[in-house]
Formats: sequence, C-alpha cells, structure tokens
Amino acid sequence: MSALGHYLEEEGIATVAISLIRPQTENTKPPRALWVPFELGRPFGPPSDPAFQTRVILAALRLLESESGPVIIEDFPDDDPGATPDPAWHPPFIPVAVAAGPADSLSSRMEAEGVLLRDVHQRWIAQHGRTTVGLSGLTIGECARYVADWLRGKAPPSPREGFSPPLILRFAVDDLKAYCLEAAATGAAKPASRQLGDWLWNETATGAAIQALREELQASADDRLKLIAGNFMVPAARVRV
Amino acid sequence: MTRLTDLPPAQAKRLAELECPDFATRPWVTGPVLSKRRVAIVSSAGLVVRGEDPFRGRDADYRVIPADTKPNELLISHISVNFDRTGFQEDWNVVFPLDRLRELAAEGAIGSVAQTHYSFMGATDPVLMEPHARELAGRLKSDQVDAVILPPV
Repeated sequence: MSALGHYLEEEGIATVAISLIRPQTENTKPPRALWVPFELGRPFGPPSDPAFQTRVILAALRLLESESGPVIIEDFPDDDPGATPDPAWHPPFIPVAVAAGPADSLSSRMEAEGVLLRDVHQRWIAQHGRTTVGLSGLTIGECARYVADWLRGKAPPSPREGFSPPLILRFAVDDLKAYCLEAAATGAAKPASRQLGDWLWNETATGAAIQALREELQASADDRLKLIAGNFMVPAARVRV
Repeated sequence: MTRLTDLPPAQAKRLAELECPDFATRPWVTGPVLSKRRVAIVSSAGLVVRGEDPFRGRDADYRVIPADTKPNELLISHISVNFDRTGFQEDWNVVFPLDRLRELAAEGAIGSVAQTHYSFMGATDPVLMEPHARELAGRLKSDQVDAVILPPV
C-alpha cells in the first residue's frame, strides 16, 4: 500500500512498501518499494519457507539504506517456488451424494459436508496449531446453517449483535471457505492455491452453495445484500457463468 | 507465480488502472543502518486480532496488532475475495512476517522489532486513510520505530 508510505514518510518515518501490482506503485510513486512477482495474497512468497521469506524481507529492508531515492521501485528477482501444483495432493473424501447431489438438496448437502470435514479440520488445527476460521464468531455448524437458511429463502436475522445480516453472511461465507480450504490442505502434500480453489469451487457442495446463493441474491431488493453477494463471496475468476 | 497477465483480464485491467493519489511532494526520510533500526509492520491486509472488531466494508481506520499476538489470533477481514488466502492459512508470515522479523533482530540484521504492529484494509480509498495514517505516525514514533515495512495482500 504505497500511499500509506507517502503519508508516514511525510510525518518523518522511513518506509518501504511491498508491491504486488507494479502499475499501481508506479502511479503512486512511494519513497521505496520492492515489487514481488508473487500471487495476490502472498506478499512474502511461499508459506513454510522461512529462508525465502527472509530473502524477500531483507531485499525490502535494505532499500532503507539506499541513497538513490526518492523514488525507488526495485524488482525481486525470483518467482515463488511454492506456486506449482503438487501431484501427490488429494482432496478429502466426500461422498458423491453429498458433493454433487440434486440442486434442491444443496443447502442440506452443504451442512452435511461441514460435518464430514470436521475430523480432517481438527487434524489441520493439530498440524498447524491454528485456524483462520473465526471472523463471524459463529461455529462452523452455525455458519453453514445461516448460509443454508439464506439459500432456502428465509432471510434470517443476524445472530450477532452489531453485525447486520449482509455483514454476518459475508463473514459466515468467509469462515466456511477457510474451513474447507484448511481441511483440504491437511497433510504432508503442498497443494498450490489453484488446486485448492479448483476443488472448493468445482467439487464441493459448499462451493456450489455459495455460487447458488450469489446468484439467488442478485435478485434481492436490498442493494447492500446484492453488492456483497455479487462481489464479495465468489472470486471473480470463479464466478459461474 | 502470478503476475497481472495471470489474472482474469477484467480484474487485471481494474487493478492496473486503479486510480491512485497524485502526490505533490516526494518525502524521503533517512536513518541509521538497518542493524540499528526498529521495525514495525503496517499491513493493508485487513488484519484483525480474533475477537476484535473486523473491518466492515471499507473502514478507513486501522487495527492494532500487539507484538505478542499469537498466530492463532490473527484473521484477515479484507473485503476482497480476489486474492489467495491459503498461504496465510498455512503460515501467517506470508502476510505478516513477525517471526521473520524476530529472527532478523536475534541475528542482529535489524536492531529490534516494534512493540505494536498495525493493519489497514487496502480496498479503501487511500485519501480516506490519510488522517489515520498521520495519527499512526505519532504512535510509531512513541514506540521509537524508525523503519516501517508496508505489505499489501
């Protein structure tokens, strides 16, 4: 976020930005930036590769010692070595009757899928010592039920004080996606993000349910709900056409 | 590897052509060598400590991330769904490299790691973030920070 660098530097603090989108950085002209050729979402490159991450950080921090600015935009030379698919990876087993049954059972199948993934997600937590599920503040079962109720056309009230229904719906969807993706990445294989995304969006009831809800809410009279469903549930590259 | 050419064309075009502030000044602050600097992370990934108020829509303010925050306590509440989250799910250092900074401080490559780190939510118009960023500078200075790394997501 190059603009933040400008404001902080004006206030007397030296900054270096990591840039994922070079044209934006070229336009903003921050004091210092290191452009990295990594996937959006991975400013320091591959997970669980401390040596590579350290090289990125040091390449950025060393720009603080350069006297050639302002403006410095340098390119990090190496690609993310973790971005290639792992052929040894296999998604968790979900019976085909759950993952790909009839459309009218989608909401129940999504809820069943959440239950089926519980053990493997527990193994993820044991393996990594953490989960990124939790934005909604609801359990996964509650998230699935809330999304299922929307899918059944119920427009349920928000279960959490201070969070509007569209907001809690967005967070419940975020939590369901995180839960499925963490479960899918459990184990020794190192799936690329694309492999995990292919599985979530093409082979699960949860992915299909989120897609279906997105389509259903496009007809809503509530503009905010329409906006959230349209733009903030399904990645642009995964929207079903 | 993902460059703009790897994204769906409409998304790549929108990102490349996103309107950026046109600044009249070119600020430039120098300081001591890296081995004497105190470093803070100011992310724009919409990071929030579990249980605290997540970013709602395009909030322009920032969230505080104390240096003793545990990996299991940090969540991403960025509004965009168009970036990978699986890297962060496996290893928070992909987005918030606090462990790496601690190692660099232990080795003496940097002077020290700040007591507190921060996150904005990068899909917000930067012009709206300006007053918050200027106020944040005061907090960073009171923590003796003289180097800020600004990772996006």
